[in-house]
Amino acid sequence: MRVTRGADIVVGDWPSSPEVVALLEGAGASLAWDVLTDAAVPAARVHDPVRASEWLWEVYGDAADAILGGAEEVDVPVVDSPIRDACRRVAQLTWARAWWPASVTAGVPALDPVVLNAELAVAVSTVEHLLDDPEAVERALAVVSPPLSQPGLAEQVAALAEDYGVELAPAEAPTRSGFALAAGGGDGVSGVAALSGSSSVDWSLVPHGVVDAAAPARWAVVRRQGRTALEVSVVPGPTPLARLAARFGEVEVALDGRDAAGRITGSAPVSAAVLLLPPDRRVLTVYAPDFAEPTPPDPAAEARRAAIVSYARSRLDSPTATVTERTAR
Amino acid sequence: MTIARAATLPRGALVARAWAGLGDAVAPLSNAAGRPLTRTVKLILDPLVLRPVLNPEFAAGAIAAAHADALTSRIADAGPVLAATASWFVVLKKERRRRWITEGNPQDLYFQRCFELATGHGEPGPDAAAVAATVLEEVHGREGPTVAALRDFVTDPANVDGLTRLLDTAWADRVAPAPGPVATSSFLATCAVTPDREAFRALVTGLAGSAGAVDLDLPGVARAHGLTDRDRPVRPGLGRGASKANLPKPFDRSILERLFAPLTNAFQRAGLADVPTLVRREIARSAGPWQLADEESRLVVVLGRDASASLAGDAPVGGPGSAAARLRSRWEREAYVHRVLRMPSAVPPEVRADVRGVREAYLRRLWVRVHGRELRHDTVTADQVWDVLDGVLRSVILDQRDRLRSVLEREAVA
Repeated sequence: MRVTRGADIVVGDWPSSPEVVALLEGAGASLAWDVLTDAAVPAARVHDPVRASEWLWEVYGDAADAILGGAEEVDVPVVDSPIRDACRRVAQLTWARAWWPASVTAGVPALDPVVLNAELAVAVSTVEHLLDDPEAVERALAVVSPPLSQPGLAEQVAALAEDYGVELAPAEAPTRSGFALAAGGGDGVSGVAALSGSSSVDWSLVPHGVVDAAAPARWAVVRRQGRTALEVSVVPGPTPLARLAARFGEVEVALDGRDAAGRITGSAPVSAAVLLLPPDRRVLTVYAPDFAEPTPPDPAAEARRAAIVSYARSRLDSPTATVTERTAR
Repeated sequence: MTIARAATLPRGALVARAWAGLGDAVAPLSNAAGRPLTRTVKLILDPLVLRPVLNPEFAAGAIAAAHADALTSRIADAGPVLAATASWFVVLKKERRRRWITEGNPQDLYFQRCFELATGHGEPGPDAAAVAATVLEEVHGREGPTVAALRDFVTDPANVDGLTRLLDTAWADRVAPAPGPVATSSFLATCAVTPDREAFRALVTGLAGSAGAVDLDLPGVARAHGLTDRDRPVRPGLGRGASKANLPKPFDRSILERLFAPLTNAFQRAGLADVPTLVRREIARSAGPWQLADEESRLVVVLGRDASASLAGDAPVGGPGSAAARLRSRWEREAYVHRVLRMPSAVPPEVRADVRGVREAYLRRLWVRVHGRELRHDTVTADQVWDVLDGVLRSVILDQRDRLRSVLEREAVA
């Protein structure tokens, strides 16, 4: 692996787009796996060599010495390392919490947040000695809300809670209401569509779980009773309850309705001039106003999202996947 | 930075190897990966076995190969005591469960007690349960000062007049700290890796911490530090009540509110003075520079102020490796972590103040931390400064993340 030295020491190729990064924040260094390449050995970014030296050998074996000692290239033997695997589990669950692409249209079931938080707390406790946050286990346990139906996991979490003096609070988990509603259905547009199209949703503009990760957002310019309107619809995800809006050229549309198929919809009057927009400006950007400002789409992002969706599908019955992924419903 | 590679070994690796040699006997002090728990290192191995303060060759980081065997055999020699410590921990946890005690973190509360028991009694014997019961009573008993006793004391009509007079006098007698040189940059340049103890001592004896408080009474200055909502600090009241969720900024807290948080934490409560003493000291403290009593604590706040100066600004202050550069790098890293964790980039109004005012939040938390350490007579040393400065920023950042996450979840449930 290549080692580059700037303000930080970077080992390997640090993955570039946030949605593929499975991150672990260690003391003095962070580790990252690119979920799409799925290599066993992570990339690292060392910002405090002294603190990192305490544990980097657990991940890179003998190569840790050379990494911290000035080498430009290191050979990392891929040997079994329970600690590295545990780090990976923490990183994978952290990734899943942020980016798991639940989608009815693509057949990726939603994760159960109760299972995820519990499994994450257990994974964190396995590697707590090398994490940046000395209170990582307490912090992870604070969001675990029993009851848990996985027998092994339930006992592990209960034992941990006792060891760290945390009282687990049964809490209302975010509901999954509305998730099943939105599969299929027609295009949802009545009146005469003069122009229509679709754009995929940029995940970083909406909170996790709010929209279906794979279904495109659809738009249509509709003429009805002499008026022109822009109508927008998007398929909700498992937790579709953040306020959404869409931007199309200069037009801003609040997505505050629901259609018969369960889709989140909105409509705004537009001048007929919108029909004259050049095709490259007919781009619909869905976003959550309390969460992010709309940004121009990254042309490579759509293919990446598709790849992540099929990666997630492959995790459902993968023996190396976490319990959380394998119990997605 | 040069480390002679071949001649050193990472301490973590040596400790892990020696620890593995102790086998299952120390499992209760280990995590699922078989490594000593973070608190096993912090509360037992470091202060009681390796003792890097006395044995600098065992300090965290790289261990010279010449000392490697000494380190591992030191842990191996402590094997029987560590095994007995682990057994006592199991006994104490069992007794704790039997008594339905849920207060505090058992590792924090019992680890050092267990080590003492192991040193004095060896492995738990037939009287183990009785011994454990006594220890739990000491730890969780009503002996230390409690919030209720504190409230009763400061609101008791028999005390109110006297305490108020004490406050008035303390504040009337306040002397403005003498202005002086506050040259922190050379200590801050190296404190993360090689803290200069001489420089720290010189800053303490030169009263740099007090001198750094000289402007706090000018309009708006203490407010810009995040320590008050007022234009200038005013004399605190005695207070009648307190709620953890709703504490005012440090200088706006009543005497009762200042003592409230440390008393609600079982780990911190151990070793505190009795209520009347605590209250009288707090009254005197409130009239001191930075409203703190020890020159070391005042200095730490000034160091934190200087090191955090460039957190939100444009140009970093201090050279590479300095405390300022390291804090700034942690803060910049957080912007990236936010994207990776899919945290909001448009900040919800509830937490906007924290994000914009990270430096104010930082100084506030730092004040609370050194104040708590004063109460426990746990003065920050030169070697601990960086851990405190860095740990405060980490805790500000992680709390901010938790808050952002709960705002998102609340929206999802609403």
